[in-house]
Formats: sequence, C-alpha cells, structure tokens
Amino acid sequence: MELFWQILTGAALLWYSTVTIYVAFRGARDIREMLERLQRTADEK
Amino acid sequence: MTHFSWLVDGSIVGLYLLATMIAGIMVRKYVGKVEHFLVAGREMNVYLGVASLAATEFGIITCMYAAQNGYKYGFAGATPGILQALAMFLVGYTGFCIKPLRDAGVMTLPQLFQVRYGSFIRWLAGVVIVLGGLLNMGVFLRIGGEFLVVVCGFNLRYLELTMTVLLIAVAVYTIVGGMLSVLVTDYLQFVVMSVGLIAVTILIIVKIGWASLAGTVTQHYGAAGFNPFLHADMGWQYVLFNLLNCIAIVLTWQTTIARVLAAKDSRTGRKVYTRTAFFFVCRFLIPGVWGIAALAFLTPAMYDRLSDTMRASQSLYAMPLLLSAIVPVGLMGLLVAAMLAADMSTDSSYMLTWSSVIYNDILAPFRRTIWPEKKGLRWNRCIVALIGLFLLFYGLWYKLEGDLWMYLQLTGAIYLSSMSVLLIACCYWKRANSWGAGAAIACGAIVPIAYLAMQQIPHTQALAQRIGANMSGLATYVLVALAMIIGSLLKPAARPTGAR
Repeated sequence: MELFWQILTGAALLWYSTVTIYVAFRGARDIREMLERLQRTADEK
Repeated sequence: MTHFSWLVDGSIVGLYLLATMIAGIMVRKYVGKVEHFLVAGREMNVYLGVASLAATEFGIITCMYAAQNGYKYGFAGATPGILQALAMFLVGYTGFCIKPLRDAGVMTLPQLFQVRYGSFIRWLAGVVIVLGGLLNMGVFLRIGGEFLVVVCGFNLRYLELTMTVLLIAVAVYTIVGGMLSVLVTDYLQFVVMSVGLIAVTILIIVKIGWASLAGTVTQHYGAAGFNPFLHADMGWQYVLFNLLNCIAIVLTWQTTIARVLAAKDSRTGRKVYTRTAFFFVCRFLIPGVWGIAALAFLTPAMYDRLSDTMRASQSLYAMPLLLSAIVPVGLMGLLVAAMLAADMSTDSSYMLTWSSVIYNDILAPFRRTIWPEKKGLRWNRCIVALIGLFLLFYGLWYKLEGDLWMYLQLTGAIYLSSMSVLLIACCYWKRANSWGAGAAIACGAIVPIAYLAMQQIPHTQALAQRIGANMSGLATYVLVALAMIIGSLLKPAARPTGAR
C-alpha cells in the first residue's frame, strides 16, 4: 500500500503542476471572452 | 519561532491582496442583472470553471481538516479525496442529475424542485440548504484565522481583527461584482494558491524525506495508516459514509453546482466536473502529507508555542506549527498569500451561493410580482452583507468540539442527504412527490441535529460516542431514502384529467 500512496502523491504533484500552468493560460482567455460576450450583450441592448 | 518577515512576506501578501481587490471590483460594470450577479450571465467556459471550482473547494479550512486527517489517520486520511474524485468524474462523465439540472435553466437547486414538488418544498429546501450551509461555513473564519496566527506567529489577540479584515475585503468585491467577481478572483486565487501549495509540498518532501513520512505512518498506525478499512476509527462505515457524502456534495452542494449552473451549457458543466475531478485527490493528499510531516517533524517541546486551547486539539494545529517552523522567508509570503487566496475564494463563493438560495427560493413567496433588476441586485447585495455579518459573529463564539472534518460532514449532512435524494428522485422517479420530499427533508435535518445535540448534552454524550458519527451519517441517508419512497407512495396518485 505504501507504494500506492507514493505513486499517487507523485501523480498528484505532477498533474497539479501541469494543470496549474495550462489553466493559467486558458482561464485568462476564458475570462477575456466572457467579459467580451457580456459587453456585447450590454451594447446590443 | 516563525519565519514570517513583514518586509518580504508582508509585501508579497499585500501585493496579492491589492491585485485581488482591483480585479474583483473592476468587473462590477458588467453586472446589470440578477442573472449576472448570481450565475455570471451563464457565460462561464471550461477552464475558468476548473479554476473557480478548484479554488472554491480549497480553503484554509480544507487544508486544516485534510492535514488533521493525515495527522490522525496517516495516508488513509486522504481516502475522502479519492472518493470525491471518483464521484465527480462519474457524475461529470455520465451527466447524472447535473445534465437535467443545467438544462432546466434554473439558478438554484430548490428552483428545480418546484416543478415536481411544488412551491412549499422549494421554500423548505431553500431553508434547509441555507441552514446546513451556514452552519457548515460558520467555523471557516475562526479556523482560518487560527491558521494564520500560528503560521505567522501573530498574537492570538489579533485573530478577530485578522478575520474581520479578511471578511470585509471578500465581502466588498462579492457585493459589488457577485459571481463575475467571484469567477475572476477565483482564477487569480487558483494560480496563487496552486503555486504556493506545490512549492511548499516539494519543500516538505525534500526536507523531511518520503522514507521518513512513510516510516512515521508505519510507526504510529501500522498498516492501518495506509488502508482505511484496517483503521480502528475508520473502517467500512467511514468509507461508505464518505462515499455517500461525496456523491451528494458533487450533486447538490450549492457552491459546487453553482459552476454547473453558471456554465455556458450542460456539456461545459460536465467538462468542468471531469477535468477538475483529480484535483480532489490533491485537495486531500497534499495537506494530508503536510499533516503527516507535522507528525514526523514536531517534537513535544515545539507544541508549547500553541495556546492551551489549541494544545487540546493538537492534531488540528500541528500542520500550521510545522509550516511556521520550516518554511523560509520569501516562500512564507507565497504560502500566506496562497492560503489567503484559498480562503477568500471559498468565502466569496459560499457567501454568494447561500445568498442566491435566500433570494431565489426563501424570498420567492415575497416576490409574487417580477422585481426590477435594480431592486433584485440591491436585495442580493444586502443578503451577502448579512451573511458576512452572521459569519463574523457565529465564527467568533462557536467552539468546535471533536473532529473538524466530522463536524463539517454532519452539518453538511443536514441538507446533503435530503437534497441528493430529492434531486435524484426529481430527475429520475416519476412517482416522487411533495409528501415524499417533505418527509425526506424532515428526516435529513432531524437525525444530524439530534446527533449534534446528543454530543453536547452530558447525559447523552456516551450514547453519541457509541453510535459514532459515521453510523449516524449512514442512518441519515437510509432514513431519508426510505422517507422519500414511503411518503411518495402514500400520497394518492393524481387523477387523470377528466376522471371523476
């Protein structure tokens, strides 16, 4: 069982590091697009 | 001795707080309608959803109870994280309940219930959700404040002041920007929080060593420290109760499903779930490793730094004590900023989502006519402010007894058990009706409250201990399901139209 937790901890750190970098870029784009869509909707009204 | 330096670490924390406040307040101009305030105009895309869900579901409170689990149970303490990851992935992959929920276009869970169970059950569900949610959230501030006090080495007298300042900052941007501010600040907070968590975990593993961590768990708990089924305080009841709770959280916890409801469509909501699922393993395992590290590193003399009250809950405060001792200047600033980020994102989301239920469902009977958007926004903002005040006062006087994770599970169970059964029946059982729903809500509230009361009354404390929190929780789920089935079957079926 110790090996299981060792692998899981390693996998968690690796996954989390990768996802943080990826989400940092894609999330910023999502925010920009979300605010643009809201602005467009407000302008149309 | 703590390594917090006001010049270096204080500047990092100050910079982070300033950036968050500016970002949170800047988006206020996009809030023109109640829908913008409560569900960000349903414009949230996948990665913003992942950042927001992860940031919301990780607060200082999470870090504290997950570390406490690691300290008390070893690696087996991270079991709830694995269960929640599985539950979230399966629900996201299949769309179980969350697809019909998002497709219904509602803003809250009780709003969906109105269709099948009627307006009284919608109102009652709203009351139960808010009651369970606020009791649950009530301990967040104090625990968060205590963490900061121990890590930074502040005087305990400043705890209330620290809590108040933090809450006011969160309340300001939540009140002005609602869900839009929550999403944008959550994104920033996710990045800061994640960098801090990863850096500190690597530091701990390098400094203490994996062999020492595993050896400590073996020394204190033997094989049970790695396997929850072998642990005397856990066993199958713990695993089963946690599994049920994790499924219920994923389906009905208002802060979690708020991301599904704010998503562009149900497909986006499901992707947010599947892509965030593994985060829940990290959510328990990373602080769990910190807790184990505290067990390995701290000597009895080191606990003298804690106040008398804190020493009584040694397992809870060991982790911040460890961090204060081993995190160096500079990284300490990043750690404090990360934990503030974690806490602020949780507080803002929680305040907003409970307020959304109060406005949308509890006040629904008073909104017979359609309110102008400005009036609706004003009410929502006032409710968020009132929740902030409640948190401040409840957080100051409530004294936590026993295991923090179990307190959260029990208070959460007040609504998790009944709401999950109501949701599943609402989506997939045509025979479900208001009688069953009412009986399920009553059972779901009575059993956990009775158990909490038994824990407080001296005459019944022994009995409460014999029953145990896990069995009490399991009994709640069973009774709630039975109540829904029996209640629904007892109510006479509606006659077909035209029948005499």
